[in-house]
Amino acid sequence: MSYLDLSIREIHQALVEKKTTPLELAKEALERAKANNDNAFEMLLEEEAILEASKLVEPEEDNLLWGIPYCLKDNFSTKGFETTASSNVLNGYVPLFDATVVSKLKEKKCVLIGKTTLDELAMGGTGTTGHKGITFNPYDPSHTHMVGGSSCGSAAVVAAGIVPFALGSDTGDSVRKPASYAGLVGMKPTWGRISRYGLFPFAPSLDHVGFFTRDVEDSAILLEALSGRDDMDSTSSFRPVDSYLPKEKSLKGKRIAVLSEIVDAISNKEVRASFDRAVKAMEDEGAIIDYVKFGLQDLEAIYATYIVISCAEATSNDANLDGIKFGAYHGGKTYREVMSNARTEGFSHLIKRRFIIGSFALMRENVDVLFTRAQKVRAKITARVNEILKDHDTIFLPAAPSPAPLLSASSDALSDEYLIADNHLALGNFAGLPSVTVPLSFVDGLPIGVNFMCRAFEEKELYNLASAFEKISGLAGLSTVSPKEARL
Amino acid sequence: MNFEAIIGLEIHVEMKTASKMFSGSPNTFTREPNTCVTPFDMAYPGTMPRVNKQAVINAIRVANALHMEIDPLVRFDRKNYFYSDLPKGFQITQQFHPIGKEGYLEILGKDGELKRIGIERIHMEEDTCKQLHFADYSLLDYNRAGVPLVEIVSKPDLRNGTEAMRYVEAIRNIVLYSGTSDGKMEEGSLRCDVNVSIRPYGSKGFGTKVELKNLNSTKNIELALDYEIARQTACLLSNREIAQETRRYDEASGKTVLMRVKTDAVDYKYFPEPNIAPIQLSMEFVQNAIDTCPELYDSKLARYLQNGLSQTDAEILLSNIDMASFFEEATVKDPKLSKIIANFLIVEINAYLNKNGIAMNTLGLNPETLSDIAAFQDAGYTHKQCADILNYVLENGGSAEEARLAKHIEKQSDNASEVLAFVTGVLDANPQSIEDFKAGKDRAKGFLIGQVMKAAKGKVNPAAVAKVMDEELAKR
Repeated sequence: MSYLDLSIREIHQALVEKKTTPLELAKEALERAKANNDNAFEMLLEEEAILEASKLVEPEEDNLLWGIPYCLKDNFSTKGFETTASSNVLNGYVPLFDATVVSKLKEKKCVLIGKTTLDELAMGGTGTTGHKGITFNPYDPSHTHMVGGSSCGSAAVVAAGIVPFALGSDTGDSVRKPASYAGLVGMKPTWGRISRYGLFPFAPSLDHVGFFTRDVEDSAILLEALSGRDDMDSTSSFRPVDSYLPKEKSLKGKRIAVLSEIVDAISNKEVRASFDRAVKAMEDEGAIIDYVKFGLQDLEAIYATYIVISCAEATSNDANLDGIKFGAYHGGKTYREVMSNARTEGFSHLIKRRFIIGSFALMRENVDVLFTRAQKVRAKITARVNEILKDHDTIFLPAAPSPAPLLSASSDALSDEYLIADNHLALGNFAGLPSVTVPLSFVDGLPIGVNFMCRAFEEKELYNLASAFEKISGLAGLSTVSPKEARL
Repeated sequence: MNFEAIIGLEIHVEMKTASKMFSGSPNTFTREPNTCVTPFDMAYPGTMPRVNKQAVINAIRVANALHMEIDPLVRFDRKNYFYSDLPKGFQITQQFHPIGKEGYLEILGKDGELKRIGIERIHMEEDTCKQLHFADYSLLDYNRAGVPLVEIVSKPDLRNGTEAMRYVEAIRNIVLYSGTSDGKMEEGSLRCDVNVSIRPYGSKGFGTKVELKNLNSTKNIELALDYEIARQTACLLSNREIAQETRRYDEASGKTVLMRVKTDAVDYKYFPEPNIAPIQLSMEFVQNAIDTCPELYDSKLARYLQNGLSQTDAEILLSNIDMASFFEEATVKDPKLSKIIANFLIVEINAYLNKNGIAMNTLGLNPETLSDIAAFQDAGYTHKQCADILNYVLENGGSAEEARLAKHIEKQSDNASEVLAFVTGVLDANPQSIEDFKAGKDRAKGFLIGQVMKAAKGKVNPAAVAKVMDEELAKR
């Protein structure tokens, strides 16, 4: 245990009292990073971090993030530092500008320790497809279970206690699912709450900036720092930024919807039992639990709808990666050859498969039955989610049907369980609603999490609920460095 | 068999906004290549489009001038294709919901009758980068990437080259006078794609469409279409098929030349742009864009005619927007002087511009000075005198009064009794000349007038002198 393992507020207190310094924190984070063997880093920024941290001498008492070390998924643009999104197509690409969230954390004097791995171009949920290979789960020294993705490296570095927080991105569940597998608080707010400027797009209508922390209050501190209108992202909201720090932590009278088809589809008895205990404990605290039927057909349609929309948008967003302007260049006699060589060499076959699906869905002869239909299904599902949230304060579910799966397990299995219980976090992306994963318990020594989703821009309510839940679970501050006893 | 041509035009207009359609980089033609570029223009990952408000205002103004229905919910879509001049691999355009639809424009047909040409749509989009191809390499200039465009698509209502030319002229006048664009075809800020097919008169179907490109003047549009219609007619009459192809106009030979045969139309895989949320324009915003639109060509023409200008003079002034605006500034002080001012602009100032090879907007003349010079002419100075004053000011600067004094120009009297006194005096002193005149020697009259001018030291108006001289000679 060290100051690095405390909550952000506690670290801040120690910094203000000069019990530790940003430089000490950065050095320790770097040491832990170098000792870690989960393959979580694209790039460690050792010299830069030490340089920046040593400039931070006088603590800013009103800035909770002053001097806090952090890591960044390698799909956020960083001025002057190679950013590849774990894809060979972007090898050598050094951006000319910082993503808005990076600028904001710079202003807060956070210290960037390193850039973390991801599934190639953030497309994937296993943490196995980036150009640096598999990123492992810190809870599994045997390296047989995944940490999940696509924000695999960011999940691993926070779970391994290297940094108190790390940024990720979430298009389907790329922060909130790995948060479940890595025992973390994984948050994505309302679409438009945080600027996406500088986040490499996967599917902009579904993309969100998200982040991993070890407790709910840390998450709220970050949201406050990262939120707000940004003219560089015209989809960012003009709504004033709230204070998100959880205050009212009672569950009394809260109306909580549990989607019964999803819970019923879970085959892992321990996950189910743990979740049921959680429901019971919340009821004991005065929450009103409603088991709501969402509509099986719509739930089954989530995966296909997601694949069609996300692949269609991705094939267009990544059309800029042609070797002409930046990124890896592989020669060619004509512009067609240059583009074709860059893309053939640069993308893995999984990415090409997504582009083909996306192009196919947009083709003139298919667009009505695939893309346009998917848009309609998305609208229908969104309407259903909002309908449920009209009568309930939140939708509460297991974040995943199981702890982190084996790396050897097929990721293509389209079982009922997979379709219904492994993809529901995308509801939050379809509807653009705030959604947070919080640790629930352990199964076979691996963490599992639950997820809360609230109405648009009700992040404050979301954090109140998550914070109350954290009190019940007893898992605030969890990492492999500071293990906790599960209660549920 | 007689054929009629079916012609439709797609016009791309580059807008002269301060910044680009979706980024903050300057929008200008004149800078060094690749100096007006932001990360967005080069499609760096993570950059996002920001809609240019002035471009929306311009598009509304043009749509209104074309009598179109304006959609206050502004939406954009992606047109996806790979090409070396397209940085993002897609163009942001308005495929599904153009800002304007269902409009029309009235032009003078070949027969002199007013003809209404339907306009299908007007939408906003962004330009590609400029390519320069060499033998074994190509250069890309991203200054043009993202320049705002409006595309205006006509219905297939045009029937011959002259109509097409007049349609383009009318569109150019609208974009020019609304302040949307400088509308220069030769510089590519107004670009025309023409579709033309022919069919037997009375037939309802359509023939095979040929696309014409490389039309860099309105005159070339007329010439290219006249040629192409004749070519297609000859094809059909000799039983040859018309191929679906793209042809370019070759100025030297006056012919259209095959560029490429069209295969199946490209599938652009359009879908809504997810990085621009639909923008709901208020009715006030739309109305304000329309109300603040600079006065358009037709309205100015009507006003000039009302102020006494001839149709020809008005059209000459309006053919140069800088001259028209100079004219308006010069006539503010005294609109009664319009005709005189127009005359100076069309004759003396145009001659001066041509002689010195300069443009109207760099002419160092104050409009008020021209107004003062016109006031001299109105007050009785001769046109010749005033032209001398004007030329002096053009060469040396200064005010009209300073020029008059410098050139020692005095007002010539046309006071009848004053003139009569001089004439009578000269006639009395030159009886021989009167006799010569009576004997048919016209030259004698010139001599007599000269004597009068001499006696009056140039202060009488020669025209008035000539008139009185005629009257007095008749009496003797």
